[in-house]
Amino acid sequence: MNDKLRIKKLYALSSENRKFSFSLPLKNKIRIGKRDYVVQLRADEKFGAYILWKNRKYPIEIVRSRQNKYEILFNDISYTFTVETPFSLQRMKVLNSKRGKAEQEYIRAPMPGKIIDVLVREGSPVLKGEPVLILEAMKMQNEILSPANGIVKSVTARPNANVMKDDLLVEIKVE
Amino acid sequence: MKIKKILIANRGEIAIRIMKTARLMKIRSVAIRTAVEPGAMYLSYADEIYDDSENVSEIPVFLNIEKLISITLEIKANAVHPGYGFLSENAYFAQKCLDNRIIFIGPSPDALYKMGNKTIARELALKNGIPMATGSQGNISNEEEAIATAEKIGYPVIIKAASGGGGRGMRIVRKSEEIERNFITASKEAEKAFNDPSVFIEKYIENPKHIEFQILGDTKGNIIHLGERECSIQRKHQKLLEEAPSCALDNSLRKKMGAIAVRIAKTVDYFSAGTVEFLLDSDRNFYFMEMNTRIQVEHPVTEVITGIDLIEQQIRIANGEELTIKQEDVKLKGWAIECRINAENVQAGFAPDPGKIENLSMPSGPEIRIDTGIQAGSSIVSAYDSMIAKIIVSGKDRKEAIKNCKLALDKVWIKGTKTTLPFFRMLVRNQKFHDGTFTTSFIEKDLEKFYYNSEYEEMLAAWLATKLFVEENLEENSIQIDFEDGKVMSPWLLNKRVNQF
Repeated sequence: MNDKLRIKKLYALSSENRKFSFSLPLKNKIRIGKRDYVVQLRADEKFGAYILWKNRKYPIEIVRSRQNKYEILFNDISYTFTVETPFSLQRMKVLNSKRGKAEQEYIRAPMPGKIIDVLVREGSPVLKGEPVLILEAMKMQNEILSPANGIVKSVTARPNANVMKDDLLVEIKVE
Repeated sequence: MKIKKILIANRGEIAIRIMKTARLMKIRSVAIRTAVEPGAMYLSYADEIYDDSENVSEIPVFLNIEKLISITLEIKANAVHPGYGFLSENAYFAQKCLDNRIIFIGPSPDALYKMGNKTIARELALKNGIPMATGSQGNISNEEEAIATAEKIGYPVIIKAASGGGGRGMRIVRKSEEIERNFITASKEAEKAFNDPSVFIEKYIENPKHIEFQILGDTKGNIIHLGERECSIQRKHQKLLEEAPSCALDNSLRKKMGAIAVRIAKTVDYFSAGTVEFLLDSDRNFYFMEMNTRIQVEHPVTEVITGIDLIEQQIRIANGEELTIKQEDVKLKGWAIECRINAENVQAGFAPDPGKIENLSMPSGPEIRIDTGIQAGSSIVSAYDSMIAKIIVSGKDRKEAIKNCKLALDKVWIKGTKTTLPFFRMLVRNQKFHDGTFTTSFIEKDLEKFYYNSEYEEMLAAWLATKLFVEENLEENSIQIDFEDGKVMSPWLLNKRVNQF
């Protein structure tokens, strides 16, 4: 089904569920209090792409984009947004309430390395930010953290195994 | 025999650092081109390049003793500088160099061996009345001994690998029921990591500061210290920021600790540059931890406040020259701070973020020194560490150094990987960092957020995401959107698009 509609607003939803709304057509201005400030998207030889805001330059980089999902590095900090129209936002809310929030999260190896220790097993409850395993790469032992609260559904990672980037390590049922 | 030509048995910024001084001293330097980094920046600083890029072995050439010796002989160099890491603290390598009449720019094999083995170093220190944390008599041989020793010392204790060091091979144990399991794992880990399962147990000092002293000794028996470095800002024993001097020391404590550091170096007739590491507790008691028998990553902060070129000193000492600097000549002037900019994702627990550095711009100025081996187009490869650059900033005092550091950090632009920059931007705004009361547990215990962003940055990023969405999905002069049919675009295309504005 194609939804052709007139849109007056767009919403950028952060991964922490903060909502930023912007009127269309999108202006190069952002209102803070009672004043509008000009946002300029620029690029030059020395810095590449940057945003100029209140006389300061902020480096920007688009790390990933897929459909309406964007990961942006802004001043070296990563933010992930999904951009929604009023309609898609409404639909998302409906879908979420019907489906509940139960989803899967797949933890994949962020880089090639060696599994040092697996800290969870099938059925373990995990909290967001809790380490689930330790991966050794680049002379460092890296804790791989759970992206969500949930229950460990399966553990593919084995201690001492060498893994490639993006290999599936742990599957978590989000609660 | 005087050093005429040095093989640089290292890569990256430290290779460049050594070659810069060698050039000033009119000594030729030879760098090794590897398959992993055939176009690396350090190669452009060498007078000669030895091409080893055909070698695709998984073990870096910088760890291959036989190969390094044969390269040195082949290119007719008469000295090797090992830098830090790799073979820099390997007694066998140093001995092999001597056997082949090659000057090893570093201490004697004997000093490397004794200080490299933590149990021997402990015994030497004990014998010489050096203050140390209470610990086991030598290595622990079984679980029963581990339990008994820990009971005697009192919890918490730390189990350390005898052949460990540089923060690796350590386990803290807080309860008696955990000692047995931890002893077994620690021993197994040590066997795997260092080919030596020996471990020993020490009292664990809670919330200490990490203070280390820079040592210089010559082959005539003269040993001096160049003051301390404060390295308490560390995560999992990996240092992130170092400064010199330390605000925890006054002149009398500096004198006392410095004298002890020199005494430790004397136990092995130490020559070359070295570092004695101490833990300092809140009652100003200090304990010898270990001696690092190499040039250290954080050596620049000492160079900045003393005006002494440590690489030059290493070379002169290796030449057999006597130290011309006396202890009373060493004056600490001003304050220096070093930030290690690594390719790491601070938001994901400092996980390495290897990749290609697309663009890089560093600040400059009289109070800024940048030590780097990375330029635009370089890659941070997973075979080596994740360092991009060391930013060393100075000021007349600590306050001014922090202020200058804050300004400098905002002028660093690195594109292509995530970096530790947001961490340092947070740190220079942190009250506890400013007042100097932080300890080695600062990052784990005192911080809630590991990065800094100002009030509106997230909103601006949201605006940018929306802007990209509009550009991709909404045709010009129309606000129609076909959204089930969302297009997938490569980041490359998007970046190109962003560049065209």
